[in-house]
Amino acid sequence: MKLLVTGAGGFLGRHVVKAAVQRGHQVRALLRPAAKSVPLGWQEHPQVEMVRADLRSRRGLDELLTGVDGVVHLAAAKAGDLYEQLGGTVLATENLLDAMLLGKVDRLVAISSFSVYEYLQRHAWSRLDESSPLARDPFCRDEYCQTKLVQEQLILDQATNHDWRCLVLRPGVIYGRDNLWTARLGMQAGEQWWLRTGAFAPLPLSYVENCAEAVILAAEHEGPKRRLVLNVVDNETPSQRAYGNELRRHMHPRPRVIPIPWTLMRLLARLAWLTNRIFFKGTAKVPGLLVPSRLHARCKPLRYTNRPIKAALGWQPRYTWQEGVERSLAAGDTATLPADQEKTAP
Amino acid sequence: MTQCIKTAIIGGGKISEQHLGSLRAIDGVEVVAICDLSPVLARFTAERFALPHWFTDYREMLSQTGPDVVHVLTPPATHDRIVRDCLAAGCHVIVEKPVALCHAGFRDLWQEADSHGLQLVENHNYRFNEPVRLLEEAVSGGRIGRVEEVEVRIALDIRGGGRYADENLPHPSHKLPAGIIHEFITHLAYLLLHFLPDGYEADIDSIAAHWRNHGGGNLFTYDDLDATVLAGTTHGRLRFSCRQWPDNFTLQVRGSDGIATAELFYPFLQVTPRRPVGQHLTPLVNALGGAWSQVGSGFGGIWSKIRNRGAYEGLSRFLELTYAALQSGQEPPVGFRQMDATSRLVDRLLAEENRI
Repeated sequence: MKLLVTGAGGFLGRHVVKAAVQRGHQVRALLRPAAKSVPLGWQEHPQVEMVRADLRSRRGLDELLTGVDGVVHLAAAKAGDLYEQLGGTVLATENLLDAMLLGKVDRLVAISSFSVYEYLQRHAWSRLDESSPLARDPFCRDEYCQTKLVQEQLILDQATNHDWRCLVLRPGVIYGRDNLWTARLGMQAGEQWWLRTGAFAPLPLSYVENCAEAVILAAEHEGPKRRLVLNVVDNETPSQRAYGNELRRHMHPRPRVIPIPWTLMRLLARLAWLTNRIFFKGTAKVPGLLVPSRLHARCKPLRYTNRPIKAALGWQPRYTWQEGVERSLAAGDTATLPADQEKTAP
Repeated sequence: MTQCIKTAIIGGGKISEQHLGSLRAIDGVEVVAICDLSPVLARFTAERFALPHWFTDYREMLSQTGPDVVHVLTPPATHDRIVRDCLAAGCHVIVEKPVALCHAGFRDLWQEADSHGLQLVENHNYRFNEPVRLLEEAVSGGRIGRVEEVEVRIALDIRGGGRYADENLPHPSHKLPAGIIHEFITHLAYLLLHFLPDGYEADIDSIAAHWRNHGGGNLFTYDDLDATVLAGTTHGRLRFSCRQWPDNFTLQVRGSDGIATAELFYPFLQVTPRRPVGQHLTPLVNALGGAWSQVGSGFGGIWSKIRNRGAYEGLSRFLELTYAALQSGQEPPVGFRQMDATSRLVDRLLAEENRI
């Protein structure tokens, strides 16, 4: 297949390009116009064609899709204010979908996020899966949740209206080189101190190489259901404490942890919410960790499953979470594409 | 006009959030619709602010919802066409700055509004920020004597990241005559004029403006402005820089009897007047007064942050007064005089670099 991979130069994108090449696909890798560096091994690689465009503008998008069989849409804005994220995530997707329609490309894999789910209203230790309710009051959540929800709805509406084959993947926490920290652990106060909110909550981790394989399997999916939404979580979901300790073990000097029990954190957030409501009519701006709906989304102890994605795609995470951490810290970039990459199975 | 004013918004970008948030608090105003070229952004904004309708074609919105007032919040280069269509549809127009790309463009639009008997109002929101209003009181109350010098200074690290520094999709303002500084020049100009002794009627004798691109590169046309203005015996200075720390938006008025400084990003006002305590004690009393202002501004800054009141706080007051004027048929707080003089000054500043 010839796949257009958006966000190809990003953290997940580079691994997805590598996984696609390893699976024998041709890749049109979309980089941002001002991207300074090109990932190692992409230049002159016979299976990789690099193109540059910014999806926030419609200019030049039609040509991107010429001769493409499917799109893997990873590009999104993870930082910035609401309008920067709306531009980088939602408007970019809107433009891409319009271009797909014009280019008659009807196969799409899009990356969403666990952030779209409702957390405040669900019980602790309940199981979160694809049937779990989505955020009920997104405007109380952060910008990322709001924009990812809009993006996902946009994609699913378009796919349904035009009967596209479309898989929306919702990864938990994707980790890997330079992306080992997760907000689900709490907060970093400088390099030396970690504020760990809770200890026992399982982390819905997905090591980036595992996740990339799931993305490519989704692109190849030929199952009877033309539209699917699947969570992406590795087999093991270590606790906050276990994962945090593993990270600390590799750090020099080792950061000091200030543990704040989940119950205390919930109480503090509840108090902040009440104060805001009583004295400021809910208009005050408080840190995310003191907003109950955001705190619960980050740190609530829940259980996770990856049975649906394994059943649908035949995906099997290749690396354990400890191996994922080891590979992330090892010398050499695991996303580098060897010049003469052996194909596995098309 | 009916008791309840029907308002519509054109442009769903970042500034629309500020306008819609401010309009929520004004009695007698009903926002009936928003329009944006992006359907998803228009719908998202409508849901977020509980607006009954959203559109992607503003002409359709004007004909279907029949608003009394339209806020034009699109990029400056699009204002002319949209404002004319809104006026033709019988709507008063509140438009983001700059209303037009040159003074002649502004005069044409003004004539168009006038011929329809409608109001055209440019957003001069910072004039209505609390520190600026307090500064106005201090100056008009004679606390610093006769105004001798006015300096308006914006330091903003726009090269360090964010929408203006984005090289992937350059911000449309980079194409304006003054480049990205065009986004800020209107604010600098009206604040300067507002505090000159003759205000907007001031006869500006001479202008010198240095437009520079200190950071280099092709993205920015200019990233620095240093302009001086002479109006009679009063000196004015306009500064924009993106190479200073901390970010600030400062308005300083120096008079024959003291100095008054207003800061808009970390709201405070500091007045250093001549004191009736003698030559030797005056510095001490002023230092104590200054320290008190600084401490107050420190706490005030945190308080403003908690209250979610940013530098746009003046927009609420500006819109409140504008809508009150529209309801009563009075002159809006930003009228022809202010807009004309501001636009003329901007033209002259730009002419210094032959950009027009």
